[in-house]
Amino acid sequence: MKIPYGWVREFVDVKLSAQDAADRLVNAGVEVASVTPLLPEGLRGVIVGEVEAIERELGESRGHRLFLCRVRGRGAQRFSVVCGAPNTRAGVRAAFAPPGATLPGLGAVTAKKMHGLESQGILCSERELGLGEEHEAGLLLFDGDAAVGADVVKQLGLDDQVLDIEITPNRPDCLSVLGVARELAALTGAPLRPPPISLREGRQRAADLARVRVEAPDLCPRYTVRIIDGVRVAPSPAWMQSRLRAVGLRPISNVVDVTNYVLWELGHPLHAFDATRVADATIVVRRARPGERFITLDGQARTLDASMCVIADPERAIGLAGVMGGQNSEVTDATTRVLLESAYFDPGTTRRTSRALDLKTDAAYRFERGADIEGLLDASARTAQLMAELAGGVVARGVIDVYPRKRRPVRVRLRMARVKRVLGVAPPPAQARRILAGLGLGVRARGADLDVTVPSFRRDLAIEDDLVEEVIRVWGYDRIPTTFGRGTVALARDSDSGRQEQIVREALVGAGLTECVTYAFSDPARAGALGTSGALKLLNPLSQDASELRAHPLEGLLGVIATNLRRQQPGVRVFEICRTYKRALGGDTETTEPRWVALALAGARAEAAWHTPPAAADVYDAKGLAELVAGEFGLAPETRTGGKLSGFEPDSHATLLVAGQPLGEFGEVAATTREAFGIDVPVFAAALTLDEGVPPVRRTPRYRPLARFPAVQRDMAFALGARPVTADVIADAIRGEAGSLLRGLAVFDVFPLPDGRRSIAFRLTFQAEDRTLTDDEVNAIHARVAQRVCAALGLTLRGA
Amino acid sequence: MSHPRVEAVAGEARAAIDRAASSAELEGIRVKYLGRSGDLTQILKSLGALSPEERPQVGAAANEAKRELEALLDARLEATRAAERRRQRERERPDLTLPGRRPARGVVHPLSRVRDEIVTIFTGLGFSVAEGPEIETDAYNFEALNIPRDHPARDMQDTFYLSPETLLRTHTSPVQIRAMRLQKPPVRIICPGVVYRRDADITHSPMFHQVEGLAVDRDVTMADLKGTLDLFAREMFGPRSKIRFRPSFFPFTEPSAEVDVVCFLCAGAGCRVCTQSGWLEILGSGMVHPQVLKNVGYDPEEVTGWAFGMGVERIAMLKYGVDDIRLFFENDLRFLSQFA
Repeated sequence: MKIPYGWVREFVDVKLSAQDAADRLVNAGVEVASVTPLLPEGLRGVIVGEVEAIERELGESRGHRLFLCRVRGRGAQRFSVVCGAPNTRAGVRAAFAPPGATLPGLGAVTAKKMHGLESQGILCSERELGLGEEHEAGLLLFDGDAAVGADVVKQLGLDDQVLDIEITPNRPDCLSVLGVARELAALTGAPLRPPPISLREGRQRAADLARVRVEAPDLCPRYTVRIIDGVRVAPSPAWMQSRLRAVGLRPISNVVDVTNYVLWELGHPLHAFDATRVADATIVVRRARPGERFITLDGQARTLDASMCVIADPERAIGLAGVMGGQNSEVTDATTRVLLESAYFDPGTTRRTSRALDLKTDAAYRFERGADIEGLLDASARTAQLMAELAGGVVARGVIDVYPRKRRPVRVRLRMARVKRVLGVAPPPAQARRILAGLGLGVRARGADLDVTVPSFRRDLAIEDDLVEEVIRVWGYDRIPTTFGRGTVALARDSDSGRQEQIVREALVGAGLTECVTYAFSDPARAGALGTSGALKLLNPLSQDASELRAHPLEGLLGVIATNLRRQQPGVRVFEICRTYKRALGGDTETTEPRWVALALAGARAEAAWHTPPAAADVYDAKGLAELVAGEFGLAPETRTGGKLSGFEPDSHATLLVAGQPLGEFGEVAATTREAFGIDVPVFAAALTLDEGVPPVRRTPRYRPLARFPAVQRDMAFALGARPVTADVIADAIRGEAGSLLRGLAVFDVFPLPDGRRSIAFRLTFQAEDRTLTDDEVNAIHARVAQRVCAALGLTLRGA
Repeated sequence: MSHPRVEAVAGEARAAIDRAASSAELEGIRVKYLGRSGDLTQILKSLGALSPEERPQVGAAANEAKRELEALLDARLEATRAAERRRQRERERPDLTLPGRRPARGVVHPLSRVRDEIVTIFTGLGFSVAEGPEIETDAYNFEALNIPRDHPARDMQDTFYLSPETLLRTHTSPVQIRAMRLQKPPVRIICPGVVYRRDADITHSPMFHQVEGLAVDRDVTMADLKGTLDLFAREMFGPRSKIRFRPSFFPFTEPSAEVDVVCFLCAGAGCRVCTQSGWLEILGSGMVHPQVLKNVGYDPEEVTGWAFGMGVERIAMLKYGVDDIRLFFENDLRFLSQFA
């Protein structure tokens, strides 16, 4: 909300600079985003000029009739000016930039040849002055009171600062110049001077000119009407236009501008109907009919429903309550009698309506935050008064006021002990009393405590602690001391999952992988390529490619690999601790969020370096890293080919099992999948669950005495025949045959044989705890093992 | 003692040893003269064929020549081998300016790093970590926190919905509600986690991370909140860091405070980062609203509480000078590797 500081100072007599006032407001919780000069940069030397005469018409140029005008400036100065504005007429006073003036965007103004004639300066539109967007309507005009030759900066009050204020949703009372002035008064002790309301009413009674029937008092607890008769619709005066522009509004006409002006001044939204366009001069406030069609002021046809509140006459809707008026009843140039609405609409209803129709207006913004149900009468009177002053006309006597259930006064007891208890500090009671009174609250001392009556404009003050905040925010948050309180001794630590993730992170970072954090949002197209289904969908996604929640633990990392390969990384080795999101088994609405560690590798295994021959990552890297993570938790998983996760190549996909339960899966990402992500090199990946079977702590090691006798090693290589036998099966068979002296078993060589079979070589380590093994002893075991394994699995011992 | 036959061979051998340039050549000479069928060995083997007079003379001379030649060869070999080793090392001398063979090491994501820093500070102050689901109900995310439907405060947190009743949590506050419903005061927890708001630009991400803290006990005051956050700021941003409290509004706290930390780039003098104010907004906080305490079954006359919430990305951006929040989620390795 933009408000000129000069306007604020009309209502509160403070000597502070705009910046100092902004600082005081910020320290009291009224956020001031910026303080900027109202004067457009580069506007200098522009004066009020009078078009004394139109000397000649110069023909058309780009759709505009051009005139040669004689313009009167300061004293005896006369200028010959070419101008094409449609509102150029003899006798008008307009913003005029004589040679030597400067205009924003245009720079220094000089006498220039136009259409063969010298134009001595420029008659200016709003846009040329840098005050707004308006240009087509023509010159920025002043009324007859404006002194010819006067500086427009003075004339338009541009010598001011604009405060850009951000009001939190609890403070609708600050959504006005008076509201901000009230805060400043409370903060500085300066007296508040609200705008004077001196309404002169005519003889006719408003009640004889219009009727109001509120059929939906729950949606509209109060509705008032005043009638102003005999208005002449015309542009509003320059000072008012200037203020409206300063707050970001477009001046329209005196009648409409006055309602906007008072909205900004007092904070209450008002609406002016053309009374003659209201059938029977009867206002009916009712629920909209389901499917009722209505054209709002902005020309849009709206379809309403029964939760919405409309202002209607006996025949049709004429306004969308608290949101926007209707085209069928708006004030036009022909309007002479105004029906002025000042009402209170239910905040929730207003908000739902405004959101359902995607129609955000200054009025709805205030009603949904809560308008001042008592103050609306002043707003109505002030508007009627200004309308009569600026548009002529007579204000009918009295106000039609439908207010069936009066607001009950809100009284709150403030215990000074509570202030101390919440804040750890409290001002003297007299100080607290002054602070609350300064904010416009009724305060009576009651022993050590205060009895507070909350005015209708402070809807946010409902409980004692609300008053605690009022006291401290005015007294100053910097008066709160820093203490620690008495601590309760308790064991504090990271969560189980936090500690578990820490272990994973340390292991994988140590192994050269970089941690990633990706969006939980998923692109259905990519999720499709991963082969997942049943992903949870967002009702209101930001975009289609982020419209579901991640259903596959590798989706994020595949995106990361694609990005980095595209950006010329030779190798990508990454991991992510993430969740997937799915419907719980057997539940329609329940969801679960399994946690995973996902890892993926593509391209070079290591950075190119003089000492390391280049090599690409492969599936054994993925497996090894998965085993590394499992090992951190003391788990030694077995491998079974195949798995449940989609998106892997069928012939390079396996599951890691602990005690028969799957811990995770690894393999090569299916070519079709990675290609959908734009990756053209193989990707090897693994995903391990972090939920089930994974303890939150590292394995606790158990010490075993060190062997005192030497170990003996023997190698054993097999040629694998046609029968599919895996390394795991052979290793199990060797262990079974070798007995307790076998202390170590490792696969140390695998290579293809010329005949198409594959050779796999094991290194066996034998050791006894009580003696040095003899060669004969070891050879005997070795020979027995080799023979039995070959026989059992149909293998050929190589090199035998 | 010398004998012409022996001397001829010995002289020849001496000359050969003198000429030899390598240890291999010297070994050859040893074989040629002193080996099993070497020239000198032959003389010694053929002593039997000599006359008894000649035999001792030749024998003594040959044995002496053998000793002499062996000594000579050993000395020469040692010298030659030393020279050869020197040449060998010379040839193979390592260039110690070449890059070392460094084990590959990855990088912890900067958001994890900041999250852990925050958690470490607060666990040190006696706060335990609590976590909860990211998919929440409207009741936990909003209503229990004093944010009814159709309340404008909902504008402060634009929400992703999965159904009219379920949503992606907009803050980790529902974790606080769950924790309070499970335990009686005193409560001292921090709640780190992923949260979602429907907002995207260079300082707002639709998914981001928060750490919230909560303390509920008898006689917990706003001064304690200030003391705790003051200490946090000094741990996080350096010992000379200062904070200030500004009044603000959150539906679940009363009074509420926005907390600023002195800009650590300009030390409060005013710069581009702090938009000339000298202060950086880092978190929101306040005293837990009595209604929220009632909602979880606590008695606000019995206990008071304070809470705060901060964005991990915001802290990371300020601390590391990152100017676009999207960088954290893009995972460009050139970005991440800067946090090694």
